[in-house]
Amino acid sequence: MGGNPAVAVDLGDVQGLILRGYTMPVARCIGLAVQEAAGARAFLTAVTDDSAVPSVASAQPWTVKPESCVNLGITFAGLGALGVSAESRASFPTEYAEGAVARAALVGDVGDSGPERWLGWLADPDLHLVLVVFAQSAAALESATGRLQRAWSAGWRELGRCDGERLPGDVAHFGYRDGLSQPTVDGVPPSGLPDRLPRAPVGEFLLGYPSQFSGHSYAVPTPCALGANGSFAALRVLEQDVDGFAEFLTRQAARTGMSEELVAAKLCGRWRNGTPLVLSPDTDAPEPPIPAEALNDFDYVGEFGDDRGYRCPVGSHVRRMYPRSSRVAGNAGHRHRIVRRGIPYGPPYDPAHPRDGHPRGLLGLFIGASLADQFEFLMAQWLNDGTFAPGLGRARDPMAGANEPGVGRFSIPCPGGPIVLDGLPRFVTTRGGAYCFLPSITGLRYLADLRPDPNPPGP
Amino acid sequence: MSEQAAVEQLVQSPLTLVMTAKSPEAFAALRKTVEDLQALPTDKNPVVAALNRLGTVHFARFAFLGNDQLAVITTYDGDFDAYINDFINEIGEVFNALLRHVDESLVPVQSHRAEFLKFVRANDLRCVGQFYSAYPQRTVLDIVDMANGAG
Repeated sequence: MGGNPAVAVDLGDVQGLILRGYTMPVARCIGLAVQEAAGARAFLTAVTDDSAVPSVASAQPWTVKPESCVNLGITFAGLGALGVSAESRASFPTEYAEGAVARAALVGDVGDSGPERWLGWLADPDLHLVLVVFAQSAAALESATGRLQRAWSAGWRELGRCDGERLPGDVAHFGYRDGLSQPTVDGVPPSGLPDRLPRAPVGEFLLGYPSQFSGHSYAVPTPCALGANGSFAALRVLEQDVDGFAEFLTRQAARTGMSEELVAAKLCGRWRNGTPLVLSPDTDAPEPPIPAEALNDFDYVGEFGDDRGYRCPVGSHVRRMYPRSSRVAGNAGHRHRIVRRGIPYGPPYDPAHPRDGHPRGLLGLFIGASLADQFEFLMAQWLNDGTFAPGLGRARDPMAGANEPGVGRFSIPCPGGPIVLDGLPRFVTTRGGAYCFLPSITGLRYLADLRPDPNPPGP
Repeated sequence: MSEQAAVEQLVQSPLTLVMTAKSPEAFAALRKTVEDLQALPTDKNPVVAALNRLGTVHFARFAFLGNDQLAVITTYDGDFDAYINDFINEIGEVFNALLRHVDESLVPVQSHRAEFLKFVRANDLRCVGQFYSAYPQRTVLDIVDMANGAG
């Protein structure tokens, strides 16, 4: 990590959402199936080279921020439907080839979160392409979608869609400021908050460069034109039980004597306004204030001295998802980073009108060069198990884990012995997912230019 | 707790990795490599340093079997496959030093990760029947943390 010299990346060849957030207030995710392969490929030509159709956004820095940005991911079934050869498809990683439905149990998508309960279009074996459109306004979103739809309709069939919209205050539905922690990637323009943490090598997020593991680069799927500068994303539609979360805070505050806001902060590892507990364990408004740009500039150990989690619980959500330099199994705390691009869906929650029946949640993309070492590792090892860190046992993430009714519990370390919050339910239910390959612009042109195989692959 | 529940909650696993030297000369070299490593003082032994960093290995020892094999016998926590890349990061150099006498095509393991994992799976004798642990739900990290004074 940081040990490899910075490598030059052609930012104009990389899909933009891998390396930067667009910070746009609305987004739409659309699932498409190939209806006619030549027409489907023609759409890929349009989104890479036709000025009348919104182009796939690259990571090239803007001179003027556009009204909308389009990115796309292709499922393994989609590669076959577009005419990619069996030899090429065999060069893709197993977890991507198996896909989100087959891998559901591994990441905790069981019971109410199981694929049999997903939104139909996300469980559809014909889901081939996921288009993601981000926009500065609802009008811009409609305009971009309309132009895209005219271009895709000759070769693709829409299976479904999901819209997201940023909430007032830039919070997620449980009320926390979101998106504060993103990896700083070596050799590309910084896009998140500055921090003192190791920089992630670009090969942790793009195929074709040295990865975070010494002497190792993730295999580039063949041919190189298709695989290099690509990445992978797990698309997730995650429904949040905001009523259940609010009731849990009230109940545990009454039981423990802690304020609801402190219970919320202990579960997350940050106060709802984003202030890290490790920097301010007693208040979300410390004096002097923590500057906004310093909200991700911390660690848990060393000079920060919170090895035992008395300030930020070892099992809290943000400490699990990125333990930083904490003592964890495999010395792995800095080697399983992930890029998160998320936007809420559903209306803002009004505590004066609980149980209003509106679905609420997060539409998220979790991006990295390896679904197995990043998304799946985080879900299986750090979110839905506790044995990676001292003292957690088999406890799962208190906010996003697949907690079972009557079993889930959360331990808040204290010098005199832990405070245990029991009766922890599952607050986040998976409503769907898809494993996508995010080809480079060159890769999209390679797909657009494919010509029918004389021996086409089976379904 | 029922026996089944206890087995299901085991967080530890046995590894009994048997490596066969590729020739009598290679076995002599392998033996010398291991003996030299193990003769180092604890604070200079790269095996000890790597295992301390990994934080997942309870016990580890080397033993020679006959005149051609080395056994690496450990009890470790967690999912070996999921942590393979972290494992190689921390202790890959030690395995490079051993494997060059066993199967050079795996060296360096840093750039033969899938092959190394396949080799470990194929040459791990595991154990016969149930694996016994006196503390089936405790990880190395739990135990070290408790030894360091956690509640």
